[in-house]
Amino acid sequence: MKRELIPVTVLAACLLPGCAEHLNQRMFDENEQTQLEKRSYESRIFDTADKEKVMRGVISTLQDLSFVVERADFFLGTVSATRLGRNYQLRMTVSVRPKGSTQTIVRANAQFNVQPVEDPKAYQDFFSSLEKSLFLTAEVGE
Amino acid sequence: MKTILVAMSTALVLGACVRMPRDAFVVTPEELAQREMETRRYDGIKEGELLVASEEVLQDLGFNLENSDTKLGVLTASKQRSATSTGGILAAMFLGWGGASKDQVIRVCLVVRPVQATSGSAPAESHFVRITFQRIVRRFDNSHVGQTLNKEELYEIFFAKLSKSVFIEAQRI
Repeated sequence: MKRELIPVTVLAACLLPGCAEHLNQRMFDENEQTQLEKRSYESRIFDTADKEKVMRGVISTLQDLSFVVERADFFLGTVSATRLGRNYQLRMTVSVRPKGSTQTIVRANAQFNVQPVEDPKAYQDFFSSLEKSLFLTAEVGE
Repeated sequence: MKTILVAMSTALVLGACVRMPRDAFVVTPEELAQREMETRRYDGIKEGELLVASEEVLQDLGFNLENSDTKLGVLTASKQRSATSTGGILAAMFLGWGGASKDQVIRVCLVVRPVQATSGSAPAESHFVRITFQRIVRRFDNSHVGQTLNKEELYEIFFAKLSKSVFIEAQRI
């Protein structure tokens, strides 16, 4: 075996056994948090049925937080944006959907480089900025 | 080969070490200043007309449209350009230094928003235009670095072109 291949073999030996084991975990972002817990901190309900106003507020908030909007789709109610740092990429997708005839539910999920953002405080900060932008107070969703 | 392996291993280890900034979702004073730089107000023009004019200016500047949603007033566009400098090329060729810039993707996001969305008393045909320039630079060693551009001159030039296109003087916010 060529000497330069030794580090590759060692690296592969360390990384590959974990692949199959972690595939489900990576694919479905399984961790100790339940789906309900995640939805709870990733969502907020606003007392308005004005989808366009909420979506424009989401876009404006993301821009204020240094994100660049990559895609926006009014029909689907989704906005995807990326924030670039010196050595990181923070991606976020926000969906806006009607809840009944008088409310709107906003759900956000973010990923930092290759990791999902699972800190409720990050979402709390985001929704707090969104509340200011919309001049509305939100209640915890779902 | 050996250099690439060391670089890959280091990138793997370092990638795992980078942590999300604590204030990633809190608007900072620097971001408010950036907002002022990126935004202008145009009075006496419909949102659709402003969006079309913006798209034309972006085309004039060589950008390709990637995504748009006219209902929400959003345009995203990008272009690929060289990012080399003579010094960088010489360093890559003769010193084997891969850290010099090779090429870049320049991306823009432009959003037109009625002023009424922020201030209910504003006239119907008053709009904010906000544009953000970002670039992702690829180095000679194929690593990437991304940044939001905060050089005021870039924004001044864009808005001067947009003002000329719509025959309306832009106002700073």
